[in-house]
Amino acid sequence: MTDLNNRRLDAAAFDAERGEVLQGWATGAGVCFADALRVQEALPVEKRFAVALAEADAQGHTLLQPRAGVALVREHVALLNGLSPYCDVLPTTIDAYTRHNRYAEAQEGIDRSRAAGTSLLNGFPAVNHGVEGCRRLVEALEKPVQVRHGTPDARLLAEITLAAGFSSFEGGGISYNIPYAKHVPLERSIRHWQYCDRLVGRFEEAGISINREPFGPLTGTLVPPFVSHVVAILEGLLALEQGVKCITLGYGQAGNVAQDIAALRSLRRLANHYFLNAGFTDYRLTTVFHQWMGGFPEDESQATAVICLGALVARQARATKIIVKTPHEASGVPTLEANQAGLKATRQMVNMISDQNRVDSPDIQMEIDVIEAEVHAVMREILRLGGGDVARGAVLAFAAGVMDVPFAPAKANLGKLTPVRDNHGAIRLFDVGNVPLPADVLAFHRDKIAERARAERRDPSFNMVVDDVRAISASKLVGRPA
Amino acid sequence: MSGDSQGYKVVLGVIGADCHAVGNRILTSVLTQGGIEVVNLGVMVSQDEFIDCARAEQAGAILVSSIYGHGELDCQDFRARCEERGLGDIVLYVGGNLVIGKQEFAAVEAQFRDMGFDRVFRPTVDLAEVIALLKSDIDQRRPAGLRNSRALPAERLSA
Ligand code: B12
Repeated sequence: MTDLNNRRLDAAAFDAERGEVLQGWATGAGVCFADALRVQEALPVEKRFAVALAEADAQGHTLLQPRAGVALVREHVALLNGLSPYCDVLPTTIDAYTRHNRYAEAQEGIDRSRAAGTSLLNGFPAVNHGVEGCRRLVEALEKPVQVRHGTPDARLLAEITLAAGFSSFEGGGISYNIPYAKHVPLERSIRHWQYCDRLVGRFEEAGISINREPFGPLTGTLVPPFVSHVVAILEGLLALEQGVKCITLGYGQAGNVAQDIAALRSLRRLANHYFLNAGFTDYRLTTVFHQWMGGFPEDESQATAVICLGALVARQARATKIIVKTPHEASGVPTLEANQAGLKATRQMVNMISDQNRVDSPDIQMEIDVIEAEVHAVMREILRLGGGDVARGAVLAFAAGVMDVPFAPAKANLGKLTPVRDNHGAIRLFDVGNVPLPADVLAFHRDKIAERARAERRDPSFNMVVDDVRAISASKLVGRPA
Repeated sequence: MSGDSQGYKVVLGVIGADCHAVGNRILTSVLTQGGIEVVNLGVMVSQDEFIDCARAEQAGAILVSSIYGHGELDCQDFRARCEERGLGDIVLYVGGNLVIGKQEFAAVEAQFRDMGFDRVFRPTVDLAEVIALLKSDIDQRRPAGLRNSRALPAERLSA
């Protein structure tokens, strides 16, 4: 780890780097920061993401946001305008070639989509469409729009989309590497995301608030809450250091209601604790809840039930925003109609929970206590490893397995930590790997798993984990033996 | 289920820029328990990486996953590429969420069969069935004299 540290990027170095970044693809030449500021300043208030979040937070509302992205600008505009009446804020989901900076392949996807008359890409290739194409898109919409992706090096994507009037940018140096990449060193992706955060910081300094949202769910598959909370806190700290002010931290539904409510409630508290401790006071924090991010049931009615459970928990825990799934989830990129169906089901559930009293229970409190103990233990070790520097600490922690994300493809992740559900479907640790959790917490996990093993009359094993991975697709929460 | 995995060696991976790693882990675990030796290349594997590995390992089959929807673009000419590289009659399977959007499986199957894949699987396929098919397909491609002699070291199979 040569020179990575958690310090604000120096202005001259940033400008020099920007020159290189903009040469990454021909459309980079269309970026001009002065023009970008003008475009952002001209955005009407109803198209500013930070405003929508602040209002929702103040009024206790929960915003709904779908995922959507197709290859061509005109079709993408039509798709978003078809979704707009059913949601509060809009997405633009970026295709997977662009996420890996493979713009030549994205171009082939665009060309072949045009020829085929249907999108052959799994998202919107914003870099290839350039500032001009993206600006046409933003202008044709009536709500705030966010870039949603999974890009380890998103510098050019950020430059182009923010110059075009997108007012929120998802991702982070850890959450867009570990679940999304194979060979990218963590120090490199963190450094590249410092650039994205610094760019947002420059907009903030010019009076334009751009929302930043670290990607909460990671691999979406049996991720223990403390794992995603630690990543969220680290990416929040890294963003604040670069001048980001408007941060939305995320969490992906795990399935057990008490654990999920506890996770969302603890997230805000823990983040404020670490942000304030690091000396940051001038920031606005909101939360986002992702409906179940693992494998869905293929049947559309069953999928709708999964969507509704997520909506219930998100609203009960007062998430600022929900990322909504669709009844097509298990099959493929959803049609406009399927996407509307997911939003409508979510809206109905959110409305019905909104007036209800806050649910509290000893179970929820216990889960909060466990999550907090876990997060503090891991954060303590990360800070120790980094000598107080979270950027260095994060890299060293992943290398040592002190931080470990289940089922992640990245070489930068050790992959020893293995989760499994307990008898009530909450996520526990079957193998803690090298994560330094306190002895009493480990004993708690062991007891919970033993309880399930007794109920199923089998020993805990990797087969139990495999059964859990496939359980929700097979209409259950816990993967019981046949 | 256990078997002599030496006789059934396959190369497994997720093609293109696809990062979906969970199904790959499950496939590795289930196939291995089903008596198949899996050389797992993980996610984001190019056509040439599959082919290089299948040659080096003298594998009986290549199992391609595509989950993220670009299967149609990434799998183009896969069989032709195998032929070019001297692997003309290797068993080729493909499975996952192969195309963009929810589409009729029969059409998807036909499309990938046209590209030269021997079998095409939907995400909900029963993996026990896959294991049985794989063993019989590999057996049938083997030189007649060597069929069913599973204990043979891999090098001799292609001799
Ligand atoms: C978890 C998940 C993610 C996680 C992945 C984490 C990780 N690194 O693994 C995250 C959040 C990171 C993610 C990201 C993306 N995802 Co995703 N993801 C899923 C989800 C919800 C579950 C996938 C999963 O793990 N399933 C569980 C495993 C066990 O099942 P499986 O993967 O299907 O594999 C089994 C079978 O398919 C079969 N199989 C697979 N290959 C083969 C091969 C052979 C030969 C055989 C016999 C069988 C076989 O056996 C496997 C084991 O049982 C699916 C939707 C769903 N299925 O519910 C979407 C889904 C696969 N994702 C999708 C997409 C598009 C993406 C993104 C491109 C973002 C986007 N545009 O929406 C990015 C990927 C970027 C990239 N570079 O690849 C789409 C694909 C759309 C399509 N084909 O039309 C899906 C279907 C969602 C949707 N409806 O839009 N995703």
